Amino acid sequence: MTWTWFHRLGSPPYVYGLAARLTPWFAWPAALLIAAGLVGGLVLAPPDYQQGDGYRILYVHAPSAWMSLMVYTTMALAAAVGLIWRIKVAHAVAASCAPIGASFTLAALVTGALWGQPMWGTFWQWDPRLTSELILFFLYLGYMGLRAGLEDTQRADRASAVLAVVGVVNVPIIHYSVTWWNSLHQAPSIMRLAKPTMPAVMLVPLLAMLLGFTLLFGALLLVRLRGEVLARERTASWIREAVSA
Amino acid sequence: MREFLDMGGYAAFVWPAYAVTFGVIVLNIVWAQRLLRRSRAEAQRRLAMRGEAP
Repeated sequence: MTWTWFHRLGSPPYVYGLAARLTPWFAWPAALLIAAGLVGGLVLAPPDYQQGDGYRILYVHAPSAWMSLMVYTTMALAAAVGLIWRIKVAHAVAASCAPIGASFTLAALVTGALWGQPMWGTFWQWDPRLTSELILFFLYLGYMGLRAGLEDTQRADRASAVLAVVGVVNVPIIHYSVTWWNSLHQAPSIMRLAKPTMPAVMLVPLLAMLLGFTLLFGALLLVRLRGEVLARERTASWIREAVSA
Repeated sequence: MREFLDMGGYAAFVWPAYAVTFGVIVLNIVWAQRLLRRSRAEAQRRLAMRGEAP
């Protein structure tokens, strides 16, 4: 087993070039999958036998909620790698994740409220799932606020990384909140060990959306990462080639 | 078409949910491109200050 790939991933010029080359391979499949999921979810899938057409909020709510957790986990892992091995690129990955994660957490909260009102009769409840998701939103805001408050990028990287790593404890709490506590929120339909509880015509558009959003995150991360890497390299000579291209 | 837009009476909830989510997607694309553009401009400015303009 050779570790050269790991060392190369710590090299800013290599990562800058790789990110530029990889972006279209994430962006185009993401656009196609989201478009397919949109048609499948809004047109092809039949109304739900209990919730009628109201359940179609699922196709934007579940991918947004998935993003909120997946992006945070990525951010915490990158932050941990940055702290342990002192890799600048890893800190740049973590910093790139935060605004993406925060915005999709907000989307999950708002679409959840818009689903809750007709189905539960309320936009908001201080329910375990909803409250822990709101805390996730504040964790993202805290992370970004901490970074914005520290002039020195190295200090901002290290301080915010500690917050990201500590905050990851909230991720399993959100995921298991519907099983551990009595929650208004329904139990998982696909992220479970047994078979999904949905017919294929409803499930496939949802899977397309989940994969599409995940690839979209990849594309957004790659573009932001290039910006973050450039901002961290004050003097390196490779920058001349990077910005003149 | 009207039936589709009506969403079985849930139009007031379904469409805003889609609008918010796709608004977030569009904003993310704009933000990411703006961050990269600004970082590149900033790097170019730094190089120019050191007399190493590309």
